[in-house]
Amino acid sequence: MRIGEIVESTSVQFVSESLELGRPPALGSLLKVEVSHESHLYGVVCYGETRSLDPGRPAVRRSTDEVYDDRVYHENPQLAHVLRTEFTCLTVGAMEGGVVLQGLPPQPPPLHFSVRSCNAEESTRFTEDLYYFRLLLGASGPVPSEQLLASHVRRVYRERGTDEDWLRVAAHEIAQLLKQDYDRLVAVLYGIEQGSGPSSRGASTP
Amino acid sequence: MKRRRLGLVTDGAYNTGLTVRLDARCSTEDLRIGELVVVEGRANRYFGMISDMQLRVTDPRLLASPPDDAPPLVSEALVGTGTFATVEVKPMLMLDMAAELDEQRGPQRVRTIPMHFSSLYKANEMDFATVFGKEGGTNFAIGTPVPMDIPICVRLDRFVERSNGIFGQSGTGKSFLARILLSGVLKTRAAANLILDMHSEYAFDKQTEDGHWVKGLRELFGSQILVYSLDAEAAARRNVDVTLTVGLNQVEAEDVMLLADELDLTATTAATAGLLGDQYGRDWLRQLLGMSADGVADFCQASGAHPEATRALQRKLKGVQRRGYLQDQVPFSLIDEMVTALGRGRSIILEFGRYDTPLDYMLVANIVTRRIRRLYQQKIERFEETRAEADRPLQLVITLEEAHKFLSPSVARQTIFGTIAREMRKYNVTLMVVDQRPSGIDPEVMSQLGTRVTGLLAEERDIDAVLTGMSGRTFLRGALASLDTRQQVLLMGHAVPMPVVVQTRTYDEDFYRAMQETGATRDGQDVTGADIWGR
Repeated sequence: MRIGEIVESTSVQFVSESLELGRPPALGSLLKVEVSHESHLYGVVCYGETRSLDPGRPAVRRSTDEVYDDRVYHENPQLAHVLRTEFTCLTVGAMEGGVVLQGLPPQPPPLHFSVRSCNAEESTRFTEDLYYFRLLLGASGPVPSEQLLASHVRRVYRERGTDEDWLRVAAHEIAQLLKQDYDRLVAVLYGIEQGSGPSSRGASTP
Repeated sequence: MKRRRLGLVTDGAYNTGLTVRLDARCSTEDLRIGELVVVEGRANRYFGMISDMQLRVTDPRLLASPPDDAPPLVSEALVGTGTFATVEVKPMLMLDMAAELDEQRGPQRVRTIPMHFSSLYKANEMDFATVFGKEGGTNFAIGTPVPMDIPICVRLDRFVERSNGIFGQSGTGKSFLARILLSGVLKTRAAANLILDMHSEYAFDKQTEDGHWVKGLRELFGSQILVYSLDAEAAARRNVDVTLTVGLNQVEAEDVMLLADELDLTATTAATAGLLGDQYGRDWLRQLLGMSADGVADFCQASGAHPEATRALQRKLKGVQRRGYLQDQVPFSLIDEMVTALGRGRSIILEFGRYDTPLDYMLVANIVTRRIRRLYQQKIERFEETRAEADRPLQLVITLEEAHKFLSPSVARQTIFGTIAREMRKYNVTLMVVDQRPSGIDPEVMSQLGTRVTGLLAEERDIDAVLTGMSGRTFLRGALASLDTRQQVLLMGHAVPMPVVVQTRTYDEDFYRAMQETGATRDGQDVTGADIWGR
């Protein structure tokens, strides 16, 4: 499913404008760009923002005592034309001729190409290997990399049908990558646990 | 055969051993100090011992805030990543994986170490067979490695060719271990035995501490064993072959020096025995005991001996004279008969009956052993002249309890036992010393002991003494300290290719059956390369 269009493209990340105002894809979700029939490029959402189209005219308050939240948009239909929602994806790998390659691809994705969500099968296939966690941990955007990785792992865990084995392997891989930095490690692991802990995972452990 | 890897070599030095990082799924609790392990290098397979274990963290902050009540996801993820364990492995033997394995070129002493990231495995049955050989011939199963049920063999031919020691604090099963080893020597006929049995416990059935009865060696080996006793009364009650008497003419001045502690003699008094010996020769003790006060004075005048010391010696030795087994004049023929029997491959247990004080034991053991060694010396000299195989004296092992009394630094130089231990196998006579205080034994004697079998020792000094002259002492110390109080021993030295911790066999019905099997001396089957590597 198309969810955005690339408006800025670099070797490490690409920025897309969301097709739906105010609803960028969830932080940490895996997206793809179909460069050609044989060649796909994958990214993980690391940032989203909604702001005014014209940098000289920032958004201002429009709510009143009677009109607020959703109704603001109803009362001001022009907002759909002056605001836009953008999201940034970190490039984490590609698929060439049916083979998953994790890491940075040789070329950035072409501008104006569509960004699509991945279905469960594609997610499962791409996340079999966890080498790309390194790229997520190395991210330097506004979202702390620990939170980004935790969100991503939570999402993939659910997309894979609450795959406990995968979650354990992923946690172990993260512990391996952050073995020299206990505090960051705990931040990631607790981040994962809170979104997918026994309570939210249907308690596999007593 | 696929085996589970325990970890990878990450660090090490030839002198200090290898550091192996354990894999995440391998717990330190799966391993034991002293356990035999195998490291597979590129060209060699290394056999070593686990000498130490450490728990480590990659980030010290983890120590300050351990994940106490962390969810399982967090605590499980830390295992093998942020936290891990290492073990220290001391390689002892190595085997060229390309070379064909045979008896002569089995595992060799290590001369190198494996490179980084070589794999560590637990030793399996084949590894034990490679290192310790298979049961059969003079390869005698003494027990099993602690976690496994595989026989560990001692090469008894090598065991008897040097003096040996069995140590361990009281209650660790020394005397049962001695029985097991003696049974092995008897069954494989590796040597003739003379057992100086202070507490009369080896020959006949005996009740153990926990109340059941165990068979004596006489019961197990029948006429292969002759039982001598010093105690005529006990000899009449028990099925004893010969009652041994000792003559005053057989007591020499060196015996008195050996007994200096037991008789509470001063150095001057003990030295007087030497002067008497010079004057009267073999008859000195009878002469001394028969001296009147005037006689003593005359002797002192003539020889320059101290009169008080001479009188003290006379007084003390009169106490000894009253022992039932001592007579004025006894020919050496009784002891010579013992030697003849030993020469024919029979073994002798000398019981002390009610004369089981250290004084009796030391006096008689010293006299008997001195005579035996003299005869063996003559035999060897004859063999060297004739070079006829028929004249080669059969190896003799003398089992000695409370050995520290004979081999303490102050007397080891004077007693015959010190001589035997030092000259080793020159005259085909060796000692098997059984003792709970190895620190009481002269270090020079300790260093000559070929094979040492030791149970748990509590005293630091005893541990040091047992490990005298062994390489890799720091590693062995750990293994020694980890022994159970019962039935576990550390086996090291000449008769085994590398030190190993052994759960000793139980001295029970199964053992009796194994000892009484006919056709017992199977030919030792060489372990072949095909056996080990399946090629």
